[in-house]
Amino acid sequence: MSSYRIPGYSGKILEVDLGREIVRARPLDPALAEDYLGGRGLATRLFVDAVDPACDPLGEGNVMVLATSPLVGMNAPTSCRGHVVFKSPLTGVIGSSNCGGTWANVFKAAGYDAIVIRGKARTPVMIDITPDRVELLPADSLWGLDVHETTDRLLEDGAGKRARVLCIGPAGEHLVRFAALMNDKNRAYGRSGPGAVWGSKNLKAIRVFGQEKTRVVDPERYQSGLDQARFLLRAVPTTKRLLNDMGTAGLVRLINVIDMLPHRNFQDNLHRQDRLDGASGEALRSRLLVRSGACMRCPLGCQRHTRVGDRTGEGPEYETLVLLGMNCDVYDLEAVTLANYQCNELGIDTMSCGGTLACAMELFERRYITEQDTEGLDLSFGNASVLEELVRRIAFRTGIGDQLAEGAARLAARYHHPEVAMTVKGLEIPAYDPRASYTQALGYMTSPTGACHLRGGYAVSLAFFGGAREIPRFSLLQSPIAIRNLQNIGILQDSLGVCRFTGYAYSAEPWSRMVSGATGLDFSTHRLEQTADRIAALERVFNLEAGVTRDDDTLPARFSDESIVVGGKERCVPKDVIERLRSDYYELQGWDSEGRPDRALLHKRKIERLRS
Amino acid sequence: MTGSKWKASEEVVRRFQHVGRALLLHDIEDSHSGNIAMRWTGEDGEEKILITATGSQKGDLYPSDICLLSTSETDFGYYKASSETDIHARILALDGVGASVHAHTKDLVFVTFDDAPKPNQPAPFIPVDPLGYHVLEGQVPVDWVAVPSGSREMTETIPRRLADHRVTVIQGHGAFAKARTIEEALYRLCIANHAGYVVRLLLKIGADVEGLRAKIREAPAAHFAYPPPDYTVNDDAICEFPEEDELIREFRRAGARIFESRISPFHTGTLSVRGISSMLYAPKASMPREIGGPLRQVPLKPDGADDRELAMHKAMYAAGNFQTVAHCYVPEAETLAHFTHPGETEASDRVIAIDAEGSFLYPVIPVVPPGVELETLTGLLHDYKVVIVRGGGVWGVGHQSLSEVLHHPSSVREICQYRMAAFERGLDLRKLEPAKARRW
Repeated sequence: MSSYRIPGYSGKILEVDLGREIVRARPLDPALAEDYLGGRGLATRLFVDAVDPACDPLGEGNVMVLATSPLVGMNAPTSCRGHVVFKSPLTGVIGSSNCGGTWANVFKAAGYDAIVIRGKARTPVMIDITPDRVELLPADSLWGLDVHETTDRLLEDGAGKRARVLCIGPAGEHLVRFAALMNDKNRAYGRSGPGAVWGSKNLKAIRVFGQEKTRVVDPERYQSGLDQARFLLRAVPTTKRLLNDMGTAGLVRLINVIDMLPHRNFQDNLHRQDRLDGASGEALRSRLLVRSGACMRCPLGCQRHTRVGDRTGEGPEYETLVLLGMNCDVYDLEAVTLANYQCNELGIDTMSCGGTLACAMELFERRYITEQDTEGLDLSFGNASVLEELVRRIAFRTGIGDQLAEGAARLAARYHHPEVAMTVKGLEIPAYDPRASYTQALGYMTSPTGACHLRGGYAVSLAFFGGAREIPRFSLLQSPIAIRNLQNIGILQDSLGVCRFTGYAYSAEPWSRMVSGATGLDFSTHRLEQTADRIAALERVFNLEAGVTRDDDTLPARFSDESIVVGGKERCVPKDVIERLRSDYYELQGWDSEGRPDRALLHKRKIERLRS
Repeated sequence: MTGSKWKASEEVVRRFQHVGRALLLHDIEDSHSGNIAMRWTGEDGEEKILITATGSQKGDLYPSDICLLSTSETDFGYYKASSETDIHARILALDGVGASVHAHTKDLVFVTFDDAPKPNQPAPFIPVDPLGYHVLEGQVPVDWVAVPSGSREMTETIPRRLADHRVTVIQGHGAFAKARTIEEALYRLCIANHAGYVVRLLLKIGADVEGLRAKIREAPAAHFAYPPPDYTVNDDAICEFPEEDELIREFRRAGARIFESRISPFHTGTLSVRGISSMLYAPKASMPREIGGPLRQVPLKPDGADDRELAMHKAMYAAGNFQTVAHCYVPEAETLAHFTHPGETEASDRVIAIDAEGSFLYPVIPVVPPGVELETLTGLLHDYKVVIVRGGGVWGVGHQSLSEVLHHPSSVREICQYRMAAFERGLDLRKLEPAKARRW
């Protein structure tokens, strides 16, 4: 058990310089723990301190930080998650990705709160972490293996099945800009391309083994939050039943009910009900589900362990099913599931992959690219038969796959039709049409990582499932605050190492008592709010230094120019609405009209840094 | 007498219907009791009295149930009109009075009974809750009359009382209120009944009501927070943010729930939603659907002209990331704010839920004194979402929606009801409370 002065933390940061082959541990500054909690907050701070914002994301100057939180290792619901922060090769802004599974938990049990990875190894390497030692080991023999093969190989020896593996697949090795890091084989740090960053550093895997326990310093306070959290998770239908019964794919029909389900690269939201029914969460359960599963300490159990013919794997999740499926006009559940398996095995973010394929299909439909460009592949909307092949070509950057591996924005720009890329800051838009909610639209616009419902605020969770917290979808007045508050609760969840889905049931209050009980520090909800404000400001500072401007905080023109029908009314997000939402959001955050926090605000947030 | 004399305007008929319905929903009338009266100037410029018909169902008035009387002559309407028409006519003759309403106000009647030999002069009713104390100006006269319905004695007594007071009570019968409008009279009657209800509940939980009244007489400022804003008339249809149709719907919905569920008396309490530089504000939060209440858009920046209530909303938004704020006068909460556990000497500084849902949603509800510092109050709201101010209502905050912030005072009411019911049954509340909640 750690003797660090703040209970709940291991008290050590692991520093790895791959180029200089240096591995060392340094103490965690208690002030950072108090001001940034852990996970996303701590990783962001360590990252910003270590990196030049102008660095090439695929160069050796990029830094990746992975952090856990004080609740990881305890029995708080879903408290198993880790968070990575890096400069994204897909977007050029901050990359920030969160993942469940078991790896982060075991990493903390090995005695560390975070790992900072710098430099570039000359040849492929892996990092092997146990409580007694940390070693850089050659990984030439692993290079080229897929995620499952790599994981199996690394668990054959060493600590055996008690160890956990975080690794990249061929997509990362080939610097696919939306390559993922995978743990437990199928759980992904997916968004923004962390796998490509590892690939650029010749880092194939981190194997970790640890058994250190994390203690609770004030059990009564901790337990009070825990009791409340457990009660609420059992009381809310989404967390009590929906996610376990149908996985996130259960959202397909529900999101369609609120006219938010994208179709054909967001060209419309019109789905034939019989086709949709055949590719819904209900269909998945009846045709493909082998069993449900759960991340460590998660009572929700949204994982789908599925089978298609003789192949088994995990997924698809809602985002995967819609972005590789309906948004490509594909309603072939089996084809999407197999493409999902392939993404997992090759280490690819299914969301950006789906968004990029939909973009390619629209380019193809409009004859901006032809079969000459695709080596004869028919990229028509609805052609399910090409999905698996395209995923493979992306991972190995073969043929058209080399262009697709650059993501939708670069692909569309290459063919001189950037308007076809449904991205914000270069990140492909999730499977919720922003025209059906101003709040969600603003979330995509202002997410620090580009269009992300998790970093940008999961407005849908309240627009449809909010219960007492349900928010209006088209309120100009309420949207900025609603999305800022959602972004902040997301920051806290990411910084506490817990799942976004707990937000269906409760906000910060139970976490406040749990983290206070875990650490002995008084993390009131007000203090947690201030912590979230600080982390948000720091992410903004990095992005500004990396070159983001006001013009980047916007939506693709399609969402302003082309309406869809929502609740019987024609809806879009007109440019004047974008303008007002953005300006109001800036004002709310205390930023100037260009989206820049001034020094006084940064001082208030305890951030003493802003390059002009 | 011509037929046209019978025809009040549709708008006036609607107002009568809505006020009558509200009286019924607030449970201060039975199906046929009470009456509603107002001065009205017809198209011919002649001033008249409109009054509900005798025996009419106030909760479901037909247009023909509203009688039109000349203030100076007897006509057919007189014989159909309320048996208490003479009383109302004399009330309406008082300076500045445009409306008078009578209701049975059962809770107020319960606590103004006495068993002294008759005839006697009963003691006035002294409210111990902030709304009653402020709005009813410290007391409500109570009179015993030998014939407590439509009698000459009443016709003389009630207008005389109302010359100096806003509401008066006839023992064992009910209350009469004077006002500028029938809506304001409804407001006063609801507050009078609410004040009676609080006393009734205090008696149930064994509180020393007379001791409390004595302390209030000595130092009223120490017992109550600031008074509610002055009641405004003829502004209930105002909406200053017509483009926010979803929010308007949410305000109306929340307001109706506050009224119908008796979370706060008619046109009391406040609700707001924060914007960037302005906030949307309902200064009469407890709004029946039909009557509504003004929906204002006001700058977030403090203004010296702001009343105390509005200033509180602004200050709370300045202190945190709240999206919504609600302030309601929950009678059960005001009551429990005075609760002292058997064997203890001080009123409890918290309400601890003993029911399943309450104990998980609101493990502890702080109770603070009326003079609580704003910083302390907002700090508690950050951690507990809802706070009871003894003598100052229930404050709640939300991070997302009006519905969310409505839930807080609504839950508080239920939590308090469970506790009071357990106490009435003689159960040991300390044993029912989660032990840990006492230490948070």
